[in-house]
Amino acid sequence: MIDFYHCFAEVSDMEKYDVIVVGAGFGGPVAAKKCAEAGLHTLIVERGQRPGEKVVSGTYVPLFGAPEWIREGNPPLERAAYGWRYHFIKGGDIYLSIDVSFPFPISHGMYCRPMCTWLAEQAVKAGAELRTSTTAVDVVKDKDFVKGIVTDEGEELRCDILINSEGLQNLLAIKAGIRKKYIPDAIELCLEYDFEMDSADIDRIFDNRIEFHFAMPEEKVIAPLGQGSVVYLFPYGNSLHTCIGQFLKHDGEVAQTSKLLEEYYENYFQTKRWKEVIGPKAKLRAKMWDTCPLYVGLFPEMHSMPRCGNGILLIGDAAGFEDTSSGAGIANAWYSADIAADVAIEALKAKDTSAAFLAKYDELWQAHPVLPRSISDRGRRNLLQAQKDEATMVKLGFEQWFNSVYDLIPMLNEMKPSEIKAMLPKV
Amino acid sequence: MAKEAIPGVEWVPGTGDFIKIIEEKCNGCGDCVRVCLGKCFGLRQRKAYVKGLEHCFECAACWFVCPEDAIDFSWPKGGTGFRTEFG
Repeated sequence: MIDFYHCFAEVSDMEKYDVIVVGAGFGGPVAAKKCAEAGLHTLIVERGQRPGEKVVSGTYVPLFGAPEWIREGNPPLERAAYGWRYHFIKGGDIYLSIDVSFPFPISHGMYCRPMCTWLAEQAVKAGAELRTSTTAVDVVKDKDFVKGIVTDEGEELRCDILINSEGLQNLLAIKAGIRKKYIPDAIELCLEYDFEMDSADIDRIFDNRIEFHFAMPEEKVIAPLGQGSVVYLFPYGNSLHTCIGQFLKHDGEVAQTSKLLEEYYENYFQTKRWKEVIGPKAKLRAKMWDTCPLYVGLFPEMHSMPRCGNGILLIGDAAGFEDTSSGAGIANAWYSADIAADVAIEALKAKDTSAAFLAKYDELWQAHPVLPRSISDRGRRNLLQAQKDEATMVKLGFEQWFNSVYDLIPMLNEMKPSEIKAMLPKV
Repeated sequence: MAKEAIPGVEWVPGTGDFIKIIEEKCNGCGDCVRVCLGKCFGLRQRKAYVKGLEHCFECAACWFVCPEDAIDFSWPKGGTGFRTEFG
């Protein structure tokens, strides 16, 4: 077990790394582990005291395409989901439910702090160094090449390739001059609650299903679709995590999220299922929020922003690899981290860290079975139009979620679409 | 030391002024006030100001919405700011 509270790699002034990875969230450690295993002198820099303690995300991740060492390595997973339930709320009560279930786990729930700490541990075991409580405040540039970072202590740490896994704010890539900040129309603010709950109650109420609750705008329990997310309920081992999101800006208007999100929750807690079934068993233990990118891939100016430059590769949310269908970017962070590490290893072998060489990253992610679709799928965005009419919304809403299932599983689990389709209910 | 003002979340002091308003750019629209769940901002004399960052989750919603780029957003000093086991 690594003592992350006091994790501090000793670095001499002149020491230079092959690769510096900024951010020990979900993607950073995956890239660092692969680089370290290839014999590269690799450092991870993390601004939190412990990896993952600053990551807020209700999290269920499909593990089909995750690196084998994650799938087989006994990571700290909370619970397996064997499907989803869609509840459509009308008049404060559920008036339509659809259960989508599979004979195998479709995704796994996890808390960010333990999971990211575990991922960072695997990177350290592979030989990567880790410096926690260290904020990267700027990049070191030499001519047109990124050559390292400046820490909040004013220290320059040099490297040949910087892999930035900083998340959607992406301050270093902006400072490096290769990206611009995302527009607020593509950023959702998510208010999340975490409840203690007896695992027997979770089993009984949720039956190993994640729940998504839809509602028409007049219910005011969630943002109208297209302006935000459905209500998510993630049942974990002995806790329940809930999330309601609202876009920061929609149709030219900045949303009053400071008031709206609390209101949605107040109204949601008055719905019958919460009041009578879930609420009496749930004890609040944490409240938190974070911004989450969604649809950045659908805006051409953001879709086309570079994902690499001279001496720098971006992964995960920093590269715009959010998922326009599900909003779940963690699997994408893993896929892109894996590809970026391969390209970094090759570049250092070839002694060429130019943007022209690193552009191989673009070729590889564009050939990935999931990444291109996940940043360009319009299905969920189109729900905004569907919500004008209740029947259309139910039909299109459910079809949209099913479509993301069709896309994901056959490609990654080698199942035929017809086999998957047979498991899904008719709408 | 760290304090807990919102359940399940700790704030480690010593962040530094990691969010600043650039007064000459601020047009007083109040968008930062509208979006901030931590209620970190106020308005006076048609300019936004930082009331306090003790409830800041470093989400940068203020920075994303500001139409004038009048918010100087950076990360808190390493090892400080919010932390949670339940994210």
